[in-house]
Amino acid sequence: MRTRASRQEALATLGQQALAGAELDGLLMDGAAIVARELGVDHVAVLELTRDSKRMLARAGAGLPDGVLGGVLPTDPSRLARDLGSASAISAAIGARGRKFGVIEALSRGARDFSADDSRYLEAVAGVLGAAVERAGHEDLVRDSEAQFRELADTTPALMWMTDAEGDVTFVNQGWLRFTGGESDAGVTFAASAHPDDRAQALRLWEEASRLREEFRCEYRLRHAASDGYRWVLEIGVPRYSGGEFIGYVGTATDIHERRGMEEALRASEASFRELADTAPAMMWMTDTDGRITFVNEGWLRFTGTTFQEEMGESWALGVHPDDAEHVLTSWEEALAARRPWEGEYRLHHQSGEYRWINDRGVPRHVGGHFVGYVGSAIDIHERRTMESRLFEVYQREHRIAETLQRSLLPERLPPIEGLEMAARYLPGARGAAIGGDWYDVLERPDGRVALVVGDVVGHGLRAAASMGQLRNAFRAYGLVEASPAEVVARINRLVMSGVEQVMATVLYLVLDRETGEVSFSAAGHPPPLVIAPDGPRFLEGGRSVPIGAAEPAVFRESTAILPPGSSLLLYTDGLVERRDEPLDRRLEKLAEAAGAASADLNDLCERVLSGVLGDVDPGDDVALLAVRPLPVVDTHVSLTLPAEPGSLAQLRRRLARFLHATGATEVEQYEITLTICEAAGNAIEHAYGPGDATYEVEVAFDSGELTASVRDRGSWREKRGEHRGRGLSIIEDLMDEVTVEREEGGTLIRMRRRIREDRAA
Amino acid sequence: MSSPAEIVLDRRRGDVVARLSGEVDMSNATYVRDQLLASMPNDALALVLDISGTRYLDSAAIEVLFDVSRRLARRRQELRLVMPPDSPLRRVIELTEVHTAAPVHESLEQALTE
Repeated sequence: MRTRASRQEALATLGQQALAGAELDGLLMDGAAIVARELGVDHVAVLELTRDSKRMLARAGAGLPDGVLGGVLPTDPSRLARDLGSASAISAAIGARGRKFGVIEALSRGARDFSADDSRYLEAVAGVLGAAVERAGHEDLVRDSEAQFRELADTTPALMWMTDAEGDVTFVNQGWLRFTGGESDAGVTFAASAHPDDRAQALRLWEEASRLREEFRCEYRLRHAASDGYRWVLEIGVPRYSGGEFIGYVGTATDIHERRGMEEALRASEASFRELADTAPAMMWMTDTDGRITFVNEGWLRFTGTTFQEEMGESWALGVHPDDAEHVLTSWEEALAARRPWEGEYRLHHQSGEYRWINDRGVPRHVGGHFVGYVGSAIDIHERRTMESRLFEVYQREHRIAETLQRSLLPERLPPIEGLEMAARYLPGARGAAIGGDWYDVLERPDGRVALVVGDVVGHGLRAAASMGQLRNAFRAYGLVEASPAEVVARINRLVMSGVEQVMATVLYLVLDRETGEVSFSAAGHPPPLVIAPDGPRFLEGGRSVPIGAAEPAVFRESTAILPPGSSLLLYTDGLVERRDEPLDRRLEKLAEAAGAASADLNDLCERVLSGVLGDVDPGDDVALLAVRPLPVVDTHVSLTLPAEPGSLAQLRRRLARFLHATGATEVEQYEITLTICEAAGNAIEHAYGPGDATYEVEVAFDSGELTASVRDRGSWREKRGEHRGRGLSIIEDLMDEVTVEREEGGTLIRMRRRIREDRAA
Repeated sequence: MSSPAEIVLDRRRGDVVARLSGEVDMSNATYVRDQLLASMPNDALALVLDISGTRYLDSAAIEVLFDVSRRLARRRQELRLVMPPDSPLRRVIELTEVHTAAPVHESLEQALTE
């Protein structure tokens, strides 16, 4: 009898062999031998139940006679004992997870009582063998299924592969090899045939899936031999298990190139559609032939927060902002009547409670040539609109500020300069913030000559207007101390070039001798001044140089000319003559033409030049205009015919101021005389028949210290018209020494007389 | 064309100071009046109209002074004038008795509410 320890050791050895994966038949033989030895029996047989469970196969044994091993026996358990002439036998079932594999029998020739230990030992051996059978059985199964798989795989056109538990590819099918152009599955590593751009992604997905032993799914481009390129494939791999144990992946790859291409196209089109839908018509509507709403879409209802029913018919108009309703409905009705496409921008009541700007368009629908109504769509343009109007406001504000600045920097009224008649105009550009840096100025020099300047600072808006102010002051300063126009311009150029801010300006600077009519001038990048001589207009050429602020050092030239007696001189800025659609020469011709046609009055000259050159078109750029005419040195008489409108009073005052200045009247006298004559003129204006061609005449003369004035109108005199006119008359009476009112045929004549430079203390 | 006039506004404590420069005649009197009235917030005590720099006022402008004074009085506000003694306008202001509607001060400091 072998000891218990020896029995256990033998069992452990058998178990180790089984765990080490020893070949099953060897294990069965070993198991049989151990049982024979440890139990001290004559025969041991391992009998395997056939698949149909009707017979037993003698698979292994110990001490068995020849011919028994490998034989088939009936399932009767006593049969083998009888055959072998055994007196005693015990057996234990070999099972694997409930499935009966067979039995192991120990047989003794002599009679023997097997102990309980013997029986338990045999059962223990049977357990080990059962585990070995189970393991072996699975391996057989896997081997079989793999063989079947390979066979199947190679006959399908699909791309297939398998890996082992470590993830190394152990098999790819013929389809795969045909696809990729590979020759065998040897040396294939996962993703080796993937497009370089897709490889990293495929490997990452693979590693993630195989680590977790989850399904692997990846779309990537696989090398394609036939097209010498790559094609999109969808690869799906699933983990294989055998007896609960992970043994690798099996996978397929499906060519999805066509689908992928379509998907990409779809994705692209979807993206552009969505983009479109986000910014473009989300609100839609339809009408019948009478323009009544028959349909609005969800987008519309979402916007308005109303119900479908509420929008039907003509009620959409209720949501239109009251300020927009009239023009929207009018334009809609007009379009509808003509069955023309319609478009409107208006504010529509939004479900949030506010009004939002929308752009709404409708086109007529026709079915079979018959008009059936409109279909339309609207988009929310609120943000755009409010941005636009905010922007517009900003421009407007800047425009206003710049214009105010501009005007405040320009002389409000040209300072009266004895012996020089002057008129000036400044027109701000009509465009947005197109206020430029145009200016004009007149300065009486200490040497008795008069300096005139017109300039145009390059650029628009506040900066230009501010720069203009600085330049204007610079000209006033240098104009006083420097006699030579070229020197004045050169000094200012030096000043500008040394400054921090980049300023560029075109300037015409001219010095005029009133007595001799001699002018010298410098035109820094500026168009030439125009002389309107009695025999016709002509430009003063010469004295040209680069604009101020363009270069340093720069050469500035000057030129001189003599104005014929009775000539006027017109200085102007680019805005008058520069226009994109007409060459400069043509514009200058127009200017000369308009100036030549003007009367001797300089205000008339300015107006005619502006209307003749600019026409009805608002100047895009701003325009400054300065007209001067040296007057005969002696001026003892004023004779004017003026339009009977309030605007003529300022002109009258200017003429009177020059005249009165020449008489040597004091400031108080000048004001009081001007006031009385203008009050009389105001009376004439108020009495005029109408705003048409009515005029009044003013005559003023000064002789031997006495001023006489008369104002004649063509209306009927009214004694008193309210407190104000009464006040006007009492002013005339109080301030003049003598006043007479004569009613004439179809008019009234007021005559006034006053001594000048006398002590008038009452 | 209307005559050039400009109003520069300034707030001095309870008073609004309006410096009127340029010329006011029948062509722009209504404009000047409207600007002056619009310059007065309800909480101001007086409108101090400085005509030191005004070159020309005619009877229409004088009428504006009476009108503004009347309208301000209804709002319990006052119109005061600032005019230096040597102003060419002085005689006309006196002749038309503007001072009966708007007290005339020789300097801005005198015209301001203390």
